[in-house]
Amino acid sequence: MRQQKTGDTIRPFKLAHQILSLTGISFDRKSIIGFVELTVVPLRDSLRILKINAKQCRIYKVFLNEHHEAHFQYFDPFLDVCQSDTDTRSLDAFSQNHLTAALKTDPDNNAGELVITIPPEASHLVAEGTALRVGIEFSLEQPQGGIHFVVPPKDQKDQKEGTYAEKGVHMFTYGHQNSSRLWFPCVDSFAETCTWKLEFTVDEEMTAVSNGDLIEVVFTPDMRRKTYHYSLNVPTCAPNISLAVGPFEIFVDPYMHEVTHFCLPGLMPLLKVTTRYMHETFEFYEETLSNRYPYSCYKQVFVDEAYEDYHSYATMSILSVNLLHSAVIIDQVFITRKAMAQAIAEQFFGCFISMQNWSDLWLNKGISQYLCGLYCKKSFGNNEYREMIHSMLQDVVKYEEEYGGIILDPSQPPAPLPVASNMPQTNQNKHEEKFYFSIRNLHTMSPMYIEASYKKAMLVMRMLEHRIGLELLLQVFNKQLSLATNAASNKIGSGLWGHMLISTNVFTKAIFTVTGKDMAVFIDQWVRTGGHAKFHLTSVFNRKRNTIEVEIRQDATSQTGIRKYVGPLLVTLQELDGTFKHNLQIENTVVKSDITCHSKSRRNKKKKIPLCTGEEVDMDLSAMDDSPVLWIRLDPEMTLLRSVIIEQPDYQWQYQLRHERDVTAQIEAITALERYPTPPTRAALTHTIENEQCYYKVRCKAAHCLTKVANAMVANWAGPPAMLAIFRKFFGSFAAPHIIKQNNFQSFQNYFLQKTIPLAMAGVRNSHGICPPEVLRFLLDLFKYNDNSKNRFSDNYYRAALVESLGNTVTPVVSVMAQGTPITVENLSAETKLILEEITRLLNLEKALPCYKYTITVECLKAIRKLQKFGHLPSKPTLFKSYAQFGHYIDVRLAALECLVDFVRADGKFDDLSYVLDLLENDPDSGLRHKLCQILLKSPPFKRAYKSRLDSPLLVEKIWTNINGMLSHDTRHRCDLVDLYYTLYGTKRPLCLPLTELSGLMNLTRPDIKKIKTAIPKLARADNPDIKKEQHSNIKTEIKEPVVSNVIVDNNLETPMNVDLIDIEDHQLKEEPMIDVQVGEAAMPKQEYFSDNSVSLPGMGQSGPVGFEPGMFQKDGDGSSTGSTKTKDKTDASGAKIKKKKKDKKKHKHKHKHKHEHKHKDKKDKDPNKIKLKEESMSVPALASVKEETLSSGSSTPSPNTASVGSGDLSNYP
Amino acid sequence: MDLQTNPYRKMIAMTVSSILKEANFDTTEKEVLGTLTEMLQAFICEIGLLTKNYCELSGRSEPLIADVILGFVDMGFDFSSLEAYVKSGKHTILPALQPQQPQKQLNMLSAGKKQTLPSHIPAHFPQFPDPHAYVRTPTHKQPIIDYESVREKAAAQKKDVEKALTKFLAKTSATHNLFDTEEGNIFPLIALKPPYPPYLSALLPQDQIFDPEDLDSDPKSLIMQQQKEHKEAQNAREEKLEEPMEEDEQPLNDTIKSEDNAQSNAFIDNPYLAATKMPSKDIIDVC
Repeated sequence: MRQQKTGDTIRPFKLAHQILSLTGISFDRKSIIGFVELTVVPLRDSLRILKINAKQCRIYKVFLNEHHEAHFQYFDPFLDVCQSDTDTRSLDAFSQNHLTAALKTDPDNNAGELVITIPPEASHLVAEGTALRVGIEFSLEQPQGGIHFVVPPKDQKDQKEGTYAEKGVHMFTYGHQNSSRLWFPCVDSFAETCTWKLEFTVDEEMTAVSNGDLIEVVFTPDMRRKTYHYSLNVPTCAPNISLAVGPFEIFVDPYMHEVTHFCLPGLMPLLKVTTRYMHETFEFYEETLSNRYPYSCYKQVFVDEAYEDYHSYATMSILSVNLLHSAVIIDQVFITRKAMAQAIAEQFFGCFISMQNWSDLWLNKGISQYLCGLYCKKSFGNNEYREMIHSMLQDVVKYEEEYGGIILDPSQPPAPLPVASNMPQTNQNKHEEKFYFSIRNLHTMSPMYIEASYKKAMLVMRMLEHRIGLELLLQVFNKQLSLATNAASNKIGSGLWGHMLISTNVFTKAIFTVTGKDMAVFIDQWVRTGGHAKFHLTSVFNRKRNTIEVEIRQDATSQTGIRKYVGPLLVTLQELDGTFKHNLQIENTVVKSDITCHSKSRRNKKKKIPLCTGEEVDMDLSAMDDSPVLWIRLDPEMTLLRSVIIEQPDYQWQYQLRHERDVTAQIEAITALERYPTPPTRAALTHTIENEQCYYKVRCKAAHCLTKVANAMVANWAGPPAMLAIFRKFFGSFAAPHIIKQNNFQSFQNYFLQKTIPLAMAGVRNSHGICPPEVLRFLLDLFKYNDNSKNRFSDNYYRAALVESLGNTVTPVVSVMAQGTPITVENLSAETKLILEEITRLLNLEKALPCYKYTITVECLKAIRKLQKFGHLPSKPTLFKSYAQFGHYIDVRLAALECLVDFVRADGKFDDLSYVLDLLENDPDSGLRHKLCQILLKSPPFKRAYKSRLDSPLLVEKIWTNINGMLSHDTRHRCDLVDLYYTLYGTKRPLCLPLTELSGLMNLTRPDIKKIKTAIPKLARADNPDIKKEQHSNIKTEIKEPVVSNVIVDNNLETPMNVDLIDIEDHQLKEEPMIDVQVGEAAMPKQEYFSDNSVSLPGMGQSGPVGFEPGMFQKDGDGSSTGSTKTKDKTDASGAKIKKKKKDKKKHKHKHKHKHEHKHKDKKDKDPNKIKLKEESMSVPALASVKEETLSSGSSTPSPNTASVGSGDLSNYP
Repeated sequence: MDLQTNPYRKMIAMTVSSILKEANFDTTEKEVLGTLTEMLQAFICEIGLLTKNYCELSGRSEPLIADVILGFVDMGFDFSSLEAYVKSGKHTILPALQPQQPQKQLNMLSAGKKQTLPSHIPAHFPQFPDPHAYVRTPTHKQPIIDYESVREKAAAQKKDVEKALTKFLAKTSATHNLFDTEEGNIFPLIALKPPYPPYLSALLPQDQIFDPEDLDSDPKSLIMQQQKEHKEAQNAREEKLEEPMEEDEQPLNDTIKSEDNAQSNAFIDNPYLAATKMPSKDIIDVC
């Protein structure tokens, strides 16, 4: 089997070294001026074209070996994903185009946005094995992605002028997977490693933190700025390069002086506490891997408005400032330490060891998470670890069953099974097609999918541990690290750098070398094939033969995300005489097996029962049947990716909950017991909650389960509300049990229980379906008597949990008033008043005395929304809107947005929805945008295929414009919106849009207008096939004057756009004919405009030819012959399509041309100033599609927002 | 008035009257009696004064008869007939001076039983006043100090403080309204002002004040230290049994370790702590 070209071999050159120098970092203008120099070693003499990644950068010059200026072209297909396809609004089509666009710039596909042509006079520089230096001068203006400036909003800056340090101004780089191209030109591939020299000139008060060793810091001659010189001698790929600049406070780790922590001013005490145990993480990894930390230093930078909680880059990680906590906080510690441990694990696997293809991402993610898991196991305990694995498995199962099987490594199909011919192959194809996005590229995958795949990767790695053993698995890791360490110390010439890349094949081979076991089948089964197994187990006891007849079925193999499993499967029986394991061989969808029981039924004998842990316990066996089996478990160690449904009687579940020592079994039992609301269940759950030996998460789950059981048993529930007695027993004070003790959170188990029980109790309902007054009183008393004065820990999370409980007690209002009367203070019920009083007081108090992370504000907002939702308060969005504004703390904003989204779903108007969408589009905080999208996905404004007042073509357009072109700079957000689009409309064309075929007969709505409009530029283009060539020749002139060209392009666009907008704006446009008239008229001048322009001027809108350069046409030829063959093909194809479409349109036009002329005139009177940004942008890509393929512009015009901003500044550039 | 009230004067008046009776007067006018009384009083006073002066002159505090005689002499008074006069014995003897009746206290004003004077106080001292003048009568309830009510009270107090504060803040700043109508808004929500930077107030909470000890507390190191102390104690016990040589070694090692720590703390080799270098010529050229 000849393997295809991998990420590290596909390019016709190797990268040896890269210099990145950013000189003009301006916080006021949010701009950067920089220079990169790539030292490239060509792999063949005939290299004429270099493809490099660069996005949203403005490129000024490209030099070869400092002397020869090279020509270059630039294009970004993400600016208009659906190029020719302007009328389909279906994800089916989009997904195709999206993949095409992604592949067109994928460095692992030997492609890139920036195509550099080596001029013939410099061709002598190119020789196999001789280093060629490619220098690129570039700048960034208000970058939209990849790099984030945290600068206070303008209006506030006026209020207080301070130094950068006072204002906490800083910046940092971020990106989704390989997105370094957003801030500097590079080969943005995980497989292309090289050594780095990094230089950053920043203001004197700033610190620049970047990868590698800080060599020195030198003042600039004017003494106002300093330059940080970094050198990274370990070969590293561009996606692992990062930068953070800010007035950071510096804290050198007292245990390891190589480790430095950075935080924003004022947070030093928190930083010290947060990083207190970090050295232990290092020690743990070094011991576990028996390998030293591969780099010479490590840096942690905590920044605001972070893209994600943590991101690991070579020798440094950028973390969210929100991970910081003080010593009195409990809940955050677990999250923070895990995040930091994961970031360090990724230093080993992910940064130091990169991957051969992006599809090998699962290995690095899997291994690093696995290591982090081991660390968590050590520091948080085995129960925590098992619970984490269990919930991960459930998450993966849930995702796969909803969307389809996750294929960890899609680069290579699984080897066909010798027996079943190519069954898996077809299977896989089937699965793959089910997704609404392509899993063939990192930049098209849904973030949800990626997240789930990370979890799956971790689980697969853990499965490997079960197959080959922990020791050997660690040896495999050790081998990878040793090889890489060896390679890193060599020069590129040694050809060993490839050892620093991991891939599925390499890894499989390494396992074989170390263990002698061939894991190819395993890899094929779990890595190259998607889906998980689903087992359904039933059992019958045969008294005569003393056997248990087990039947395991896999019925749902044809369902989404589920596939058939063949192989061994472990069944564990807990019998009276002990735990017995039985390995069953699963070969079919139905497997029946008779398992002989080891013990006889003995109802009344008193004897201790041995458990799997070896301990012996007394059990009350009165509930048992005559079967000697206490409970049955399937695959108890979670060695497979599976979901399991076990059918056994309720008493067996109760035994399992009470006596099984494994937390996963307990959790499963709790889940199952929800279905059996009986007194014994109640007793078992109560026992678990009260059992101090039990893992706290199990106890909390049992509490929530008891709520459900109590609600189901409401008719015959005896005694006080569920858990009241338990709570008083644990937390009531000695003298007066109804008064809670003063808080003391020394015991974390009790702390979590104290938080959970009120929450669970709030869910209790009486026979009228409302919360019992007793419970409400109990909760209010908890507020009243809460006393934290003697506690060593903060009670903010506890109080937040109380507010949440209060919110949970709210049930739909029972009103005697007539519908429609306004809700006023007077007609609130007494309970509501009490709740509201508590909430308002706490919320107001937070303004003066905020608690950690505003947890109480967050819960108050949610509780208010609940009151609104259930009709106790007038449903109004104003409060949430004000809390959702930019400038508030992110958690508060997210809570407000959650409420707002919920409001939109229930009673929102389109205005409210567009408010949310505006934030989704324009909010400065990228992390918030992502989370907002997740909120929207969780509770979409309307259900797919249901009529809703919010569903309108306008909404379709809004989202579509974004995914089609506006978000070229942020892959994650683009894919988020694709998720949203899918959630709202599925993969087909949205129902609210009329079908294209019927457009002539039906009333025409906007999108179709769009289609016609956007066809126009193409029309022009089709008429002038020469344009393309002309534009090619234009490259040079544009390079010379990027600013000019940019402005002109804008002007150029505006003229046709206005025409477009007049009718786009108009929602009342109903009939096609009148539009067509307009089209006809509008199209004519446009056509002329374009053709004139393009014929006469090579510059496509340039005011005049600046001059021709030698070799211009020659290069042209080169470009079309070798470099852009692919793109050319594409345009040709689309060109053909367009011609066809154009004909259709023309027909239409003639038909209706004269009928509705008068109407059209009315329309024209509409104010053209109403142009919205969105519409503007919509037409940009439409027009751009004409030029995109061929036009190479010095500036990338990432989006219209910034395209022309600050261009004047640039001319200052030397 | 004076005549009646002053007992001495009264006595003198009586004396004058009896002398007058001896001299066979039956009646006298009031004015005459007054004058004579006045004269006698003046005479007695004068003689008393002179007597006292002579007594003090001779350095005594109690006068002798000689002093009286000197006094008479000094006044130029012939007292030779005085003896005969006294011895004649026909004088009426004046009744003894009646001790003045103390004014009877009214019953209604006395409260309680007066305490008798304790033995160590001479009887001539004034009596105790009525008990109400000095006995402390509790005028308020005893504080209740049982757990339940203390908690209750603390809770109520806390709530009142919070309520007052929020109410004040709500009145002094812009508010949100949860209802449609403006009137009778008893649940005003304070409108929030975005803090800058937003993370500072969130990460440095102000709702509670903790001991600096708690904020710095390092549970793990505490445990470690305890373990270490425990071990040391154990070691010490063991070493006592062993030779004294090893005992010396242990602290020696410790000192070396601590020195190491101190040294490393003093000098940390971290590039971020290094001083910024001055621009060199080369770099200027490049720039």
